Amino acid sequence: MTTLTKPEDAPAAGASDAFLSVRDLHVRFATEDGVVKAVDGLSFDLERGTTLGIVGESGSGKSVTNLSILGLHNPLSTTIEGEIVLDGKELITATEPELEKLRGNKMAMIFQDALTALSPYHSVGRQIGEPFRKHTGASKREARERAIEMLEKVGIPHAKRRVDDYPHQFSGGMRQRAMIAMSLVCNPDLLIADEPTTALDVTVQAQILDLLKDLQQEFGSAIIMITHDLGVVANMADDLLVMYAGRAVERGTVREVLKTPQHPYTWGLLASMPRLTADVDEPLTPIAGAPPSLLNPPSGCPFHPRCAFRNEVEGADRCVDIRPELPTGRGAACHLTSDQKSRIFTETIRPRLG
Amino acid sequence: MLRFILRRTFGAVLILLLISAFTFFMYYAIPQDPATLACGKNCTPDALAIIHKNLGLDDPIPVQYWKFLSGLFAGRDFAVGHCPAPCFGVSFRDQQMVWDTIMDRFPLTLSLTIGGLLVFLIVGLGTGLIAARYRGTWLDKTFSSISLVLSSMQIYFLGPVVLGIFVYSTGWLDKPKYVPFSENPAQWFMGLLIPWIVMSVIFTANYTRMSRSTMIEQLQEEHVRAARAKGMTGRYVFFRYAWRGSLIPILTILGMDLSALLGGAVVTEFTFGLAGIGRLAVDSVVGKDLPKLMGVMLFSAAFILLLNVIVDALYAVIDPRVRLS
Amino acid sequence: MSIISSSRARTAVVAVAAGALALAGCSSSDSGNGKDKSKSKKEAAAQSAAVTMGTAADSTGPAEEVPGAKPGGTIQVYEEDDFSHLDPGQIYVSDAGLLSKLIFRGLTTYKEDDKGALTVVGDLATDPGKMSDGGKTWTYTLKDGIKDETGHVIDSADVRHTFERLYDPFITDGPSYIQQWMSGSGTTYRKAYAGPFKGGKHLPDSVLATPDDKTVVFHFKVAQPDLPQALAMAGYSVVPEKTDTKAKYDTKPVALGPYKVSEFKAGKSVKLVKNTNWDAKSDAMRHQYVDGFNIDINHDDEDQTKTILADRGDAKNAIMMTGQVATTQVQKVVSNAAAMKRTIQGYAPYVWQMNFNMDRIKDKKIRDAITYAMPSTAMYKTDGGAYGGEVANSLMSPTTPGYQKNYDPFDRSKKPNGDIEKAKKLIDEAGAKGMKIVYAYANVPVRQQQAVLVENALTKIGLDVQKKEIDAATWYEQVGKVKNGFDIYMTGWGQDWSSASTVFPPLYDGTQIQDGASNYAHINDDHVNSEIQRILKITDTAEATKAWTALNQYISEKVNPASPIYYTKTFQIAGTNVGGLRYSTVTSYTDPTRVFLKS
Repeated sequence: MTTLTKPEDAPAAGASDAFLSVRDLHVRFATEDGVVKAVDGLSFDLERGTTLGIVGESGSGKSVTNLSILGLHNPLSTTIEGEIVLDGKELITATEPELEKLRGNKMAMIFQDALTALSPYHSVGRQIGEPFRKHTGASKREARERAIEMLEKVGIPHAKRRVDDYPHQFSGGMRQRAMIAMSLVCNPDLLIADEPTTALDVTVQAQILDLLKDLQQEFGSAIIMITHDLGVVANMADDLLVMYAGRAVERGTVREVLKTPQHPYTWGLLASMPRLTADVDEPLTPIAGAPPSLLNPPSGCPFHPRCAFRNEVEGADRCVDIRPELPTGRGAACHLTSDQKSRIFTETIRPRLG
Repeated sequence: MLRFILRRTFGAVLILLLISAFTFFMYYAIPQDPATLACGKNCTPDALAIIHKNLGLDDPIPVQYWKFLSGLFAGRDFAVGHCPAPCFGVSFRDQQMVWDTIMDRFPLTLSLTIGGLLVFLIVGLGTGLIAARYRGTWLDKTFSSISLVLSSMQIYFLGPVVLGIFVYSTGWLDKPKYVPFSENPAQWFMGLLIPWIVMSVIFTANYTRMSRSTMIEQLQEEHVRAARAKGMTGRYVFFRYAWRGSLIPILTILGMDLSALLGGAVVTEFTFGLAGIGRLAVDSVVGKDLPKLMGVMLFSAAFILLLNVIVDALYAVIDPRVRLS
Repeated sequence: MSIISSSRARTAVVAVAAGALALAGCSSSDSGNGKDKSKSKKEAAAQSAAVTMGTAADSTGPAEEVPGAKPGGTIQVYEEDDFSHLDPGQIYVSDAGLLSKLIFRGLTTYKEDDKGALTVVGDLATDPGKMSDGGKTWTYTLKDGIKDETGHVIDSADVRHTFERLYDPFITDGPSYIQQWMSGSGTTYRKAYAGPFKGGKHLPDSVLATPDDKTVVFHFKVAQPDLPQALAMAGYSVVPEKTDTKAKYDTKPVALGPYKVSEFKAGKSVKLVKNTNWDAKSDAMRHQYVDGFNIDINHDDEDQTKTILADRGDAKNAIMMTGQVATTQVQKVVSNAAAMKRTIQGYAPYVWQMNFNMDRIKDKKIRDAITYAMPSTAMYKTDGGAYGGEVANSLMSPTTPGYQKNYDPFDRSKKPNGDIEKAKKLIDEAGAKGMKIVYAYANVPVRQQQAVLVENALTKIGLDVQKKEIDAATWYEQVGKVKNGFDIYMTGWGQDWSSASTVFPPLYDGTQIQDGASNYAHINDDHVNSEIQRILKITDTAEATKAWTALNQYISEKVNPASPIYYTKTFQIAGTNVGGLRYSTVTSYTDPTRVFLKS
């Protein structure tokens, strides 16, 4: 069993000894159309040196969760409730200066697109060195040295020469490497990678993932890997959290979730993924329906309007009326019984996955 | 870089040539005789003929144009003396070397445009930044409303109003007046304060809105968020990351506003009774003073071209993508 | 002073007109506000008195002290337009004419008393001139030791040079009376002599002689009794020979008067400082109370009036030169007793008249009808309000000797805004109902407003008015053409000196009809022509004046080439610190030679 053994209704976060502990997190945005419930009662834990994969469609609350951890949400329009404890430090109630000391230092983030996430107006070296200077009080020269060192570490050739280059002078893969260097410059304990390879082509993708793995080994960081690519997750993560409509709908180890998924949404995700072993003319099966509106999420189980198996659930409209709980540890938030789940998966889903 | 400079210089010369030809031939396309304005009482055909000769209007028009062009590079001789290159000729009306007159007037217009430019950039960008920083608060709303009101103002309306209140009625400020900076910087500043403010008002509001919106846009950029994620302070990110980027669209608009700025200087000069290039331009049109008209047109065009080159250079300073490609 | 025939003055008129637009609405309240404080015709009687010839004693300096005058300080002047010329030979209009009072001196000048009565006296000359040979020969003797700003002592060669240089083609503006008297009318004088610069030839002694250093003798073909007054014109101020820079002189003239030009920036500013070589003892009319004058260009009437009314800083020391109290500010000024104390008023010499193109409107009945129909009151009120003008009874200005205030051939005093009934009757009698009348006017607001008034009046009397709007800049050129294609057009004219001899010959001499000449009505009446020639030769001023008066009556009653519309008036204000403020009959503006600063 892995880190994800804590039950959803675990005791208060302070008592948790996990490195990162998120408890009953609610994130709401006030918009002109109403309140968006971006994250609705999310809990998870993460241990040092391990990787948690979070998958889900866009708008499922993956990225919002991570911005909340970093405290980068817009304070004017966002309400955050719950607890986020990093190494014993409560983050939601932390002041801005306290958070600034943690960001880039204890916790860092790798963004999806290095082209937009690196400022075009400052040299790569400066952008890498900046947090180093801020958090360690290093001089400009020391910061530059450190930047070169980091660039070398992420595999940029001629780092000494390229350190003064601007992002637009780098290729896509090199930019991503530079950004990884930027996030790792202060040896963070927690690294949040938000779709770190989506913008890259496949060969570069693999290189970057390997790099991340190597670096994790070297620094011993915990990683949250946000992605919609189950392949990436299978490669990188220890544990997996599947999110839907701002909620966790299934969790377990990567192996558990991928081999014996229990939630109809996870089935849908797997079914919509192309397989190398499949026939060329075999169509992919997308999940029917559209992602839910977070302004007005469906009642009960938020997946029920799209769920092909809600009729199997006993008791009329249970899926519509009652929100299924995510059970402690390995499990899925679904009203189907365990038998039903394994029967449907074995009989209906697995054949489709080939 | 050298190629860039050469290309720009060549382009500028070509534009100036076209402007000069256009101005010159358009001037003669209008049926008018500049001599009649210099002709006193009893303006008989004989008297007119003498003036024609004095003003060099006897030559065929292309010859006159050629003389003008060659004067630009080689200088010319007139009854009032030698006119060294670049020679715009001698005014039909006041018999002064046009170049000298322009040189005499230009410091005022330069003070006016640069001063006005600084005022609206500082005030406009400043309030825009504050509004963006405190977006959605009463401060933002106040600035936005004020800028909306001010942007509908006109110099020729606002000027007399400001004069009426601050000069004629209360006497808090003295009437605008130009004292060269080299003579007395304090008086230079006080004398041009009202014109600067009035002239910049119509621009300021525009730049407040633009600065606010581009800043808000920039603050939502990923690299701004990334910088925050590195632990950089809000203020640092605001100025080093977001502001830098917000300047580029502003610079583009500024480049287009430069000629409007010079136009604003014309109206401002009229409103406050100041004698600069703008006044000269209007006087030369009213007075059918071809040499002055040519001089003012070419000089202002060259000035605007120069400012545009500066703006282009600023792009390169702000954005390494421009500089390094 | 001359008129609106030079370019600068035209622009000035345009500007005044622009200011006048806004005030049409105000003008009614002018009269509504109690008593109209503007001066009436009888108070201006002195202005139309004939000029007296002074004696040698009158011609000696120093000038009579202005009561309370103190030395020191700098007078601030706000002007709208640039001075057209600084070369005296090119000066014909009032703005530069005023300046010339301060910096130049001629052979003669005027002394003026508190009532505005004028005496011609010697300025550089010891007296206003000794006439002989029935007015054909005039002899002048120079005062001793008069220096220009460089310290050079003026001698007869300088005087001769002053007149000779006027023949050179670079002199195109300025008066040409004396050149014509010496060498031929029109522009023929230029053919008689090419000027002193080419070959150094002088005018023959038979025309202009300088028997010694101190004596200058003019010889004319016919008697020229007005020479002393002609010589007082700014255009005949002396230009010292050695320092004459020809075309360049226009920006750097050499001063003989109490002030000299220290800085001249075209279209921007002029600064005058004391000329230390000027000697008060040699000058019968000028003073040197203030240290200098700072003249700032580009301030329109509105700007000038508001600034001087506000009375702050430099404006306390300010006078107007050719500016007028802006029409929009008239009410504010006249309702403020303290402000009125620092104003001056008087007639300007201009008569605005509606000329009939007599080549086209040949029937006098029609001309009379139009004359009766003219809405004079409404028209002058669009041009400066109650203080800007006054209904004109006749073609002679109140400033011209021989003017009769009771002479009113068209019953203007009874029907100042037109007699439509009578006009209609005359049109019917002439059988001209529905006749097409082409009416030309300049495209400036004041003329456009007046055009509406005129059109309404003429339509009422049954004429078919065709309005033709003309570019103000080419206005005088277009109406000055003999074949201009217009029927009626309004022009303004003023005397060059206090005599109808500078009004009637240029306007009504039928032998002078040509393109560019000022006989806009193209009147060519044998009696008028011969009378003009006869009166010009009369050496007795009183007799000549009487003759002009009679001719004026003849012209209006028997020919009627133009309908009198209105006389213009001057209304100026100065800063509170300015003393010695007085209207000058000579310039028709504030007299700049006697102002001082109280503190």
